[in-house]
Amino acid sequence: MTQETKRFIRAPQDMAAGLFLIGLGAFALWQNAGLERGTLRVFGPGMMPTILAWACVVAGFAVGIGAMLWNGPKLERWTFRGPLFILGSAVAFGLTVRPLGMAVAAPLAVLLSSMASSETKLGEAAIFAIVITVFCLGLFRFMLNLPIPVAPWAIGY
Amino acid sequence: MKKALAFAAALALMAGAASAQQYPTKPITVIVPFAAGGPTDVIARIVGESMSKTLGQQLVIENIAGAGGTTGITRGKEAVNDGYTIMMGHMGTHGAAPALYPNIRYNPVTDFEPIGMAAGTPIVIVARKDFPASNLKEFADRLKAGQDKLNEANAGVGSVSHTTCTLLHVQLGTKPTRVPYTGTGPVLNDLVGGKVDYACDQIVNLVTQIQAGAIRAYAIATPTRSPALPDVPTTKEAGMPEYEVSAWNALFAPKGTPAPIVARLNDALSKALDDANSRKRLLDLGGVLPEGNERTSAWLGTFVAAEVDRWGKTIRAAR
Amino acid sequence: MFDLIGNLAHGFSIALSLQNIALCFAGVMIGTLIGVLPGVGPIATIAMLLPLTFKLDPTGALIMLAGIYYGAQYGGSTTAILVNIPGEATSVVTTLDGHQMAKQGRAGIALGVAALGSFFAGTVATLVIAALGVPLTKVALLFGPAEYFALMVAGLAFAVVLARGSLLKATGMILAGLLLATIGTDLETGEERMTLGFSTLSDGLDFAVLAMGLFGFAEILRNIENPEARDVTRGKIGRLLPNMDDIKRCIAPVLRGTAIGGALGILPGNGAVLGPFASYTVEKKLAKDPSRFGRGAIEGVAGPESANNAGAQTSFIPLLTLGIPPNAVMALMVGAMTIHGIIPGPLVMSKSPDLFWGMIASMWVGNFLLLVINLPLIGLWVRLLKVPYRLMFPAIMVFCCIGIYSINNSPQDVLFTAFFGFAGYVLYKFGFEPAPLLLGYVLGRLMEEKLRQAMILARGDFMTFVYNPIAAGMLAVAVIVVVIAVLPSVSKSRDQVFTE
Repeated sequence: MTQETKRFIRAPQDMAAGLFLIGLGAFALWQNAGLERGTLRVFGPGMMPTILAWACVVAGFAVGIGAMLWNGPKLERWTFRGPLFILGSAVAFGLTVRPLGMAVAAPLAVLLSSMASSETKLGEAAIFAIVITVFCLGLFRFMLNLPIPVAPWAIGY
Repeated sequence: MKKALAFAAALALMAGAASAQQYPTKPITVIVPFAAGGPTDVIARIVGESMSKTLGQQLVIENIAGAGGTTGITRGKEAVNDGYTIMMGHMGTHGAAPALYPNIRYNPVTDFEPIGMAAGTPIVIVARKDFPASNLKEFADRLKAGQDKLNEANAGVGSVSHTTCTLLHVQLGTKPTRVPYTGTGPVLNDLVGGKVDYACDQIVNLVTQIQAGAIRAYAIATPTRSPALPDVPTTKEAGMPEYEVSAWNALFAPKGTPAPIVARLNDALSKALDDANSRKRLLDLGGVLPEGNERTSAWLGTFVAAEVDRWGKTIRAAR
Repeated sequence: MFDLIGNLAHGFSIALSLQNIALCFAGVMIGTLIGVLPGVGPIATIAMLLPLTFKLDPTGALIMLAGIYYGAQYGGSTTAILVNIPGEATSVVTTLDGHQMAKQGRAGIALGVAALGSFFAGTVATLVIAALGVPLTKVALLFGPAEYFALMVAGLAFAVVLARGSLLKATGMILAGLLLATIGTDLETGEERMTLGFSTLSDGLDFAVLAMGLFGFAEILRNIENPEARDVTRGKIGRLLPNMDDIKRCIAPVLRGTAIGGALGILPGNGAVLGPFASYTVEKKLAKDPSRFGRGAIEGVAGPESANNAGAQTSFIPLLTLGIPPNAVMALMVGAMTIHGIIPGPLVMSKSPDLFWGMIASMWVGNFLLLVINLPLIGLWVRLLKVPYRLMFPAIMVFCCIGIYSINNSPQDVLFTAFFGFAGYVLYKFGFEPAPLLLGYVLGRLMEEKLRQAMILARGDFMTFVYNPIAAGMLAVAVIVVVIAVLPSVSKSRDQVFTE
């Protein structure tokens, strides 16, 4: 760490965090620009969001300045496989559950999310997808009678 | 190729005719555009249970809440019009919504096949228990005289309590201070605690508080008194006959749903309203049930058009 | 006093009928089993199971429903401890130390302490409801908008103390949470704020969407990224139940948690949500070595879990005596009652004493059954951790997706959860903690609403908070809590500067 103390940004992770907060606040300010602020007696819709957005920006600057004063952790390595497949599986579920039903959406989500890990064995994941789907259909649709489509293209609901 | 197409088309037609005759062959989804547990949901579940028995298929309640009920109704409008998706519309979604939400994506009058009226819950005008007025007339006078000092509580823009009190204010020509809350629970809390002065809301939300004397009721906005609150006069009796309003709930199907199916559903709904068990439960809620002519699909169609007109005028007048 | 005993005896005579015990047992059991599915929180559980009760008589239905509620609550705490996914706002705190304990192979102890603490808190809260329910109603009515706003500010002060790392970053997260809470239709004008044109956002972000995204999905992403760290902790499973030493350390936190949670639960404006946060703050401040918190401190599970259950119990007071549901779960209970023709309110007690006292007695029965069912189940839950992670996380994903979908039957909600899962991953990479954000979010909605109501009622006079003794008192507590939290860290950062 000692050789890093001379660097301008001493805590890269905190610097990124500060920039993130500033960005968030700026985005909210832009989104709320058109809203009435109102007065103290009658707050407009824009009053609270604007105050909070500025507070975010200020906090962001404070974190960022801190990152130049004190040493802190470096930014961690980012991976893409995990987020892609995990979040992709949720997106796939959301997009397919109504048009194609749970009989498609559930195994799709299991298989896609399984791809996120290098430990996954394909055959095992496929069997597991079927098991989980049968379990979920039995529990949520048939025992609890939830209005989730099962397979509209095959059985009509 | 042409033959095959024609054959497919004929098959589809036959299937369509068959499905109208045998309807229903699978569970029917009823979209309730509010969260489970609210008055509309409770009414839908009560009539739905009885209708399931009549139709021989389960009516599954699907709660899709959001944006004053318009999210669920928009979903219902876009559903397949085969009679397997219907929805419980409401004074807000099929009356006040066009004036309240400029970006609304449906027309309450032209985008639906009205099935039939289910039940309405009357509106009651209430105030904190120590409010200095002994009847509706005195209450109205206070409202007109002291509009700067009084605080009206409502459950948020677009809620029943908000739109019905808007109507009251427009009719009285006053603009008091309005305090918005999220939902009727907190409104009631501050009304019982005396932090705000008055509110308008559905009888089911207020009845036990009124009976217990925790809040004071001035009038009920229906033509006849409610059996749950026999001491509360109607607005007509109390000298404000023009203030007549109830939060109604009615079943609708998406535009183009075959007429025989709509008739079948209307019939099942009517049977539900006559069924001793469901009738008692609806009346216990303080509900007002449609009778005779009011149960037809055509009546509901005209009624919705009149409601859209009335709330449109009211809400524009209040601006 | 005799009244109390007589009433409770009457209640128990109803609650202990064979049918009602069976219903209570069924409710607690099903509630636990569904509630323990990651991603299916108490609200989703109760909404799913509500129709099961429609065919029963009103008292039986409510007894079963109350059983479902406790079961779902405890099931939610179980998922919070085992897989770091809070099912609702009140179990966010449980993830902090509970999941750390699980990672250290002490999952069984955490679950056991949670069950025992909850049982104790539930017993006390039941007695409080039976004895003081009606007089306490008056306290609830003292709370108007100004008082609630002050309470929320005090709650935010607790959020600062929750932070494990940098106070400044925790503050940033609280502000971000407050900002997210302003998304949605403006209460007063009906204008849309920051909805980016999505109709599902017009009623604001759903808590479950935010929590499953920031905690659930992000946790899976972290685990997949660091398989080594995960597998080491997965290997060992220690004792299944807490021993005498653990229990001794928990007695004081449980007592304090019960008192705090029970008191806050009475407030009809969802005060119960603050209970676990307040309890955690108190325990962290009282501890000899506060740095243990966030690294698997048993007090950080025992106190908040007791507060959680005490508050869950006493939040029935505004429902039963005023007919005012303090939160979404209680609103569902109101719906269940009205479906059975019972409209909750001040008259329920005199009009349907069987139902009122039977339900109160069944609360205790429910808590007892919860303990009886769950102590043996702990072994099973802990063994579930042995399931290879490559199978566990796809299952969690599916349950989360179904749970989120079924809250509003909205596929868009699932997509938003995926988005917040990504946001949670980014926050983790930037060294932020999601817990303060969630607390800020939960308090934010009420805070803006109450502030604006208070300002309207006071006609824009800020002095309303000073003239109002309850509000002023709570704002003072907030200032004191923040000062206590900030002082040591200020001196610490000075030290840092000096050592360089």
